Parts: sequence; C-alpha cells; structure tokens
Amino acid sequence: MGKKRRGPSLEELLARPWCYYCERDFDDLKILISHQKAKHFKCERCGRRLNTAGGLSVHMSQVHKEQLSTVDNALPNRSSLDVEIFGMEGVPEDIIQTHNQRVLTQFQQAEAERQAETGNPPAGAAAGGQPAKKPKLESVSDLKKRLAEHKAKKAEARTGGSSGEATPVGAGQTPTPSSGYTQPPPPVAAAAAANPQFSYPQPYGTASPYPQTASPVYPNFSPGGQQQQFSAPAQYTPAGYSPQPFAGGTATPGQPYGATPPAFPAQPPTNTPPQSTGTFPPRSGSLPTPPNLPQRPAVAAPPVNAYQMQQMHMGHAAPPGTVNGGEKTETTTPIATPVDDLISGAAKQADAAAGDKPKGEEKKKDKSKQARLVYSDNETSPEEKMARLARYAYEPDRRGETALEELPAAAVVGTIRETDTVVDPAA
Amino acid sequence: MASSQFTVASPPTDAISALKFSPDPESTRIVVSSWDKNVYLYDLRDENGAVGEGKLLQKFEHRAPVLDVCFGATEEEIYTAGLDWDVRKIEIASSTQTVLSTHEAGVRSVVYSKEHNLVISASWDSTLHVHQTNDPATPPAVIPLPSKPFSMSLTATKLVVAMASRALHIYDLKALALLSAQSEGTGSNKIEFEPWQRRESSLKFMTRSVACMPDDAGYASSSIEGRVAVEWFDPSADSQARKYAFKCHRQTADDVDVVYPVNALAFHPVHGTFASGGGDGVVALWDGIAKRRIRQYQKYPSSVAAVGFSGNGKYLAIAISPGFEDGKDDVVEGAVKVFVRELGETEAKGKGAK
Repeated sequence: MGKKRRGPSLEELLARPWCYYCERDFDDLKILISHQKAKHFKCERCGRRLNTAGGLSVHMSQVHKEQLSTVDNALPNRSSLDVEIFGMEGVPEDIIQTHNQRVLTQFQQAEAERQAETGNPPAGAAAGGQPAKKPKLESVSDLKKRLAEHKAKKAEARTGGSSGEATPVGAGQTPTPSSGYTQPPPPVAAAAAANPQFSYPQPYGTASPYPQTASPVYPNFSPGGQQQQFSAPAQYTPAGYSPQPFAGGTATPGQPYGATPPAFPAQPPTNTPPQSTGTFPPRSGSLPTPPNLPQRPAVAAPPVNAYQMQQMHMGHAAPPGTVNGGEKTETTTPIATPVDDLISGAAKQADAAAGDKPKGEEKKKDKSKQARLVYSDNETSPEEKMARLARYAYEPDRRGETALEELPAAAVVGTIRETDTVVDPAA
Repeated sequence: MASSQFTVASPPTDAISALKFSPDPESTRIVVSSWDKNVYLYDLRDENGAVGEGKLLQKFEHRAPVLDVCFGATEEEIYTAGLDWDVRKIEIASSTQTVLSTHEAGVRSVVYSKEHNLVISASWDSTLHVHQTNDPATPPAVIPLPSKPFSMSLTATKLVVAMASRALHIYDLKALALLSAQSEGTGSNKIEFEPWQRRESSLKFMTRSVACMPDDAGYASSSIEGRVAVEWFDPSADSQARKYAFKCHRQTADDVDVVYPVNALAFHPVHGTFASGGGDGVVALWDGIAKRRIRQYQKYPSSVAAVGFSGNGKYLAIAISPGFEDGKDDVVEGAVKVFVRELGETEAKGKGAK
C-alpha cells in the first residue's frame, strides 16, 4: 500500500513559523517577516515598513512626532510594544509553549476527526494493532449498517460457513468501535465544534484558556483511542516523542527548560498525553533558531568582551598614526584611533539610536568610527594644491601688462609641459 | 513630477572650479569656470526656447586657470577670477575682457552685489578687492584679511568670507560700499576695514564652501571633513543657539568612515533650502530650518565641484570633475560634466517642521 500522506505531520506543524502578534502561521520565515512588516510594523502615516515594533515606535516618534502605543492588528493581549519580536525571535517561552500546545491540540483533534471518519491509524503511527487494519477497510458509522446488511444478504444468499463466520466477526468488530463511538459522538461533534472555536482570534484572548480547553480534549479523545489499541501516547511514542529525545532536547538547548515544567499549567495528570506534551519543549527550543533566518537588526553586544577590550587598550601603545598623516592628532575627534574601533560596535548602536543629525562636532560619536578624510590637508585648499601643479603653473612675471592674453601664457605652460614629458618616459 | 536630468553639451576639458546660474529668474544661462583656462557660457534653452541638451554659447579664454566666475548686473556681463591674479570683467556681447584689478596671488573667488554695485574679489594674497562697478576708473579698495580666503558668498546686505584657520568674516555691504567709495581719493587704497562680525568657523576643519541664505538670515558653511554648519547672522544669543552642524557626505567602508569634503553649497532662491555637493559625488538637498534632508540624488561618477540653482529655482546644475578630494590626480577625458536637473514643483521644498 502506498503511503499517502494526508497532511503535515505534527513535527512539521510545530516547525512552522508563526506570528506572535496574530498567531497566524506561515510556510516560511521570510513570509512571516514580510507579514509582520506589512501587518504589524507598518507606519500608518507614511506606509513605511519597519522591522520591529520598537523600530516603528522610534520611526513614529522621530518622523511623525507621534507615540505608538499598540501594535496594529495584534490580538488583544499581544499588542504590547514591550516584547521585541522579529520573525520568531523574541517570542516569550511561555507563549511559544502555549502555541505548541494549541498546535498539538488541533493536530490531535484533526487526527481524531480523521480517525473517526476513516478509521485509519494516525499518520506516522507504527501500525501497532492488527485489528486496526480491518476497520481501515470498512468505513464506519454510516456505512457499517449498510455493510452489515449487505453482508447479511450475502451470507443469506450464499450461506457459506466460513465466510459467514468471517463476516460476523468483521461486523462484530465494527460494532466494538461503534459502541466506543456511541460515547465519542460527542467528542467528534465537540471536535468539529471545537475546531472553529480554536481558530486563532478568540482563544488567544488569554493565554490560560489553552491548557483548559486543551485538557478536556484528551479524556474525550483518548478513551476511544485506548479502546482501539492506539492510544494517544502510543501514537506519539513511536514518532520519536519518547522521553529520551525529550531528555536529549533538554540537554542540548540548555537553560530554558528548567523553566518549562511550570510553563505547563493545569496539565491534567489523568492521561498519558502529558508525556507527549512534555516533548514539546525541545521542539520549541529548536524553533527560534531556524536555519534560514534573515539577519536581525543588530542587537548583539560588541564582539569584544571587557577583558579583551581592556587588554587591547593596554596592548596598543600608540595609535598607528593618523591615517592621512595629518597634524591633527590632538584634535582626534574625527580621526579616531584604532582602539576606538573596538568600541565601534557598541557605539554604532548608540549612534543609530541617537538619530542621524548630530549637532555640534564635539559629540563623542566621532570617536566611534575610524574616520579617513579623503582630503586631509587642513591648511591648504585643494585649489591651492592644484594651482601648484605644473600644468596649471602660471608665471605672472612673464605676462604682458596689458591685453596679450593667450600667447605668453601658452608659451609658459608649454615649456612646463615639455619638462613633464621628459620626466615621464624616464620614469 | 520625476525630475529629469541631462548633461550639458561640450563641457570643459578640465576640472570645473565654479558654476553659476544667471540670477535672472527667466534666464537659463549658466557660466562655468574651469581649470582649462576657459569660462564657458551655456544656455539650457535651444533656439526654440525648449530646455534640453543645453548649448555652449560662448567660451572665454584666460591666461591661466579660472577659479571663479559670477554674473554682473545683467547677464550680458560676467566677472572672473583666476590664477593669473586678475579680476576681469567680460562683456559677453562683444567678448571684451577688462582687467579690473590685479592681486598678488591667485584670485579664489569673485562676487557681485547688485544692490551696491560692487564686485568683490578674494585672493590668496589675503586681501579683498572691492570694485565700484559704476565707477570703473577708480582703483579698488583693498581690504586685508587675516588669512587666505577660501570661499565667499553674499546676500543683499552682507558678505561672508570664509578663510583659512577657520576664520570667518561677515562684512556689512553698505558700509563696505561707502568706505570703498570714500577711499577713491587716497593714494594707497589699502584700508583696514573692521568686519561687522568676526567668527570662528563652527567646523573644526578647513572651510570648503560658504553660502548665504536668500532671506538674508544666515549662512551655511561646509568643511573638508564631511560636515555642514548652518548659522545665523543675528548675534543675539537666541539666534546663535539655533546654529548647528551635521555630518554628511560620508561612506562607511570596512568599518572605516570615509569622509569626503563638502565642496559646494547653494541655496534655493525660492524655498530657502540648500544643496550640498561632496567629494563622494553625492548631491543632497537639505532643509536648513527644519534640519531635515529633503532628498539625496544618486551618486555622480566623480566629485561634485559646484552646484547651483537657477534664478527661478526650477533647475539645479551640478558640476562634477575629479579633483584632489577624489584621490585622483589626473583628469580623465569625459569625467568633467555639467548635469542639469529639472526640479519638480516641490522637489527642493522643505517639508516643514513637524
């Protein structure tokens, strides 16, 4: 049998980047970022798209002299400016977990629905129970009656011994789930009903509803599953969500997971699912660092630590001269020394934050960068220098006092050019 | 709305030293002085009056490179200053050149004040020559300066001279006119003339260019170190507190800030905004009052030597030529160009303070 994939696996679902502000998920991080720029970080005055809410806030205050109070188009509790979000970066851990929880719940519901509909084992489940295969062939609920009738007819018609027995067994098996499903219809219906309810906007009014709405789902769902031999835990353990990967996951990303257990509030100990939900932290840990993450606006500290910096300050004896050999070492303001270069990383940020129109030259900013003057002679203007060039030379003594303009000048310049041409080939 | 840009035909063959539009609002004439010893007169309009290519009307040869040029009372006369130490008046119609005075070194700049009928030239011999145009026979008054002048600009009432050692003098033109008129009898016409204000440049480096606001309120100056300062004439503490400077014409390459000189400044005659041209080949428009950059034009292929607005403010001429500031010594053929931008209605208009 060819393995037809019905939909994305849970892993894929969890790996999808999603928007902190509106909980929409996206195929690609790039799309997420452009979504955020278009929906949440766009300036309503001039349409400029900024990278972060902070950036927009600065833009609004500097350009439009307005104060940004909330993020546009955000869910009610997500419109704060305090959280700096860029793509998937900056999303608080608990929010990530709530989201994962929600994705899981939705996935399970969808799975339950599908199972209820098709009787198929969940995707990725290592077909544990042989009996599970059989209901796969038959469709459930509606069909089973007809099927039973049909088979009964067949049995009547043929009155075959073996086949007659076989069919009852087959029919007898369907009833078993059906008896199980007599209760489940609520869950199925609930799941169907719950699905819209789980559409993004509403439940996220608060973060707390999740665990609450999520937990009831498990008891509803798993009884049916357990009867059917593929229980919820069973279905996730083979998929690699066993405790071991979890442990491994905690080991790798390190820090945050000390905090994760409390981040699962109201997790009902009633079912085994806690185990499977416990597997989420590693996933969430791996989320914030997708490989194709575009460059974030620099937030990092300068790459030099304090010790190094100090060392280099001590180590560097004298700045290796002013770049252009000017006499301006005293007025070092614009011609920065290499040492200053070290702090440039930090200072640049300060610069960026401080805005682009400096007033007055005495600003410390100037020290932040190594500057190179293209024209560094502070005493002689470029014109004077040019005037000294041979080709522009002019001998006032030789010129005629009155009106003879061209001849003397041409003659003078001509001779000088000649000396030039003599020198050039020699060199 | 999009501004169109074209280059003027037959540009100078060597670096451009100055470019001036005729102050006449209806005129589209430009004079360009060059190190190739010529002064070029262009008209942006062709025979049919359509603005296009721009054509060379006339070329006036000098004995030495010409450093500055300006229009006189009408656009039929221009004044030039150059390395031949002379200040000349050229009648365009007849192409006659008259030497007004001779300095003792190259003459850096020349300006004409139509309000006071004065031609003032500034030379590296650290003097100003003040010529009375309505009395050409009189030798000019010579006013000593503390340092070599680098740039000069005037308004209806004031003359700003930027000099070496960051010195800056502001002269009252009326007093200057009176004084030079009085001095005519004296033999040596060298007169100590106290400027209305002496200032030290607000910029730490050599002043490259200075340009006065058309509303006579103040001036902008630029330095070799990628900076522009905007200051006000009014000596009151209030006005002086308004002065500021900002960085521009810089590029960051490999963590090194490459700082270009700001070679040229020009105020828009209508909007009062100004353009700066840098050694980086960039021209930017600024709103000096709102302290905003209005726009920056795409980088030109070489250093911007001069910028100028037409009398009605509809055109912006940009002279580019490789120079020292570019780090290149030789002038490559075809590197000298005069671009003219036709400005949109609000292209050079400040957005206003917010």
